[in-house]
Amino acid sequence: MLTLITGGSKCGKSSIAEDILSLVRSRKIYIATMEPYCDEAHKAIERHRKMRLGKGFETIEKYTDIQDVTVPNGCGVLLECACNLMANEMFSAGESDPVSKITRGIAHLNENASEVIIVTNSVGGDGIIYPAETMEYIKNMGNLNCALAQMSDRVIEAVYGIPVMLKGSLPECFSNR
Amino acid sequence: MMLIIGGSYEGKTEYAEAVGISDICDGETAGFDEIKKHKCVKNYQMLVKRQLEAGLDPLNEVEKLFDECPDIVIISTEIGCGIVPIEKSERIWRETVGKVCCFIAAKSQKVIRISCGIASVIKGNG
Repeated sequence: MLTLITGGSKCGKSSIAEDILSLVRSRKIYIATMEPYCDEAHKAIERHRKMRLGKGFETIEKYTDIQDVTVPNGCGVLLECACNLMANEMFSAGESDPVSKITRGIAHLNENASEVIIVTNSVGGDGIIYPAETMEYIKNMGNLNCALAQMSDRVIEAVYGIPVMLKGSLPECFSNR
Repeated sequence: MMLIIGGSYEGKTEYAEAVGISDICDGETAGFDEIKKHKCVKNYQMLVKRQLEAGLDPLNEVEKLFDECPDIVIISTEIGCGIVPIEKSERIWRETVGKVCCFIAAKSQKVIRISCGIASVIKGNG
């Protein structure tokens, strides 16, 4: 089962993802893609670590090349987030076709895991014209989100902690809220 | 609490007025304590910005608002999408609005999202 969660900044994407994964009884693997390059990144990483504390996640830090990660059969996977992965593939690794590469990597995770959740972000909605490399990033993120949504069983937009279903049905853990 | 959200100029305030919500003050200009005297506050995202500029913690402030005015209606513009701003204060503002609105949404019986003047109830009953 593949779930894509999109939404704006600090709108509750991770907590929705963790709620869905709380139903997984086997191993849970967290793939962290954010490179801790500055103080703010350290703080964001720390905040997310605290959120996951006691929830039984094993953390793998992988900033590029997620196709090299092979997860155990039946496990739950949370990858956070596709936007960092894209930035790393484009600007650190200089990858020429990052959309296909990331899509393949995620399909590979989904072969073994029982539940894969990808957190992404909508970055094309502010109407600002940026320098060419940022516009390329926006285009790639748009294409990646479309490709991932197509192969996903569920697509959820997180709106201030509320899961709004864009594809598929509301996960069980939210049905009584 | 009740929360009405959506992009700029999508019809949030007009919706509130159409469903009979009156006594709306403006978070961009109202005094910090004055807000508590009204039934509804619009531009809550601007109130958050002013609280940050005044050195207040907007999460603390919204918790106090909930304690004192549990029935208040909050209208806020969604500002969290797009490229992460280079300017640090802009980043902090947009992230804080996200966290504050997560709190408001959790405390609200009803959350309504307006797009092109059309309301969708995303939490609570129609």
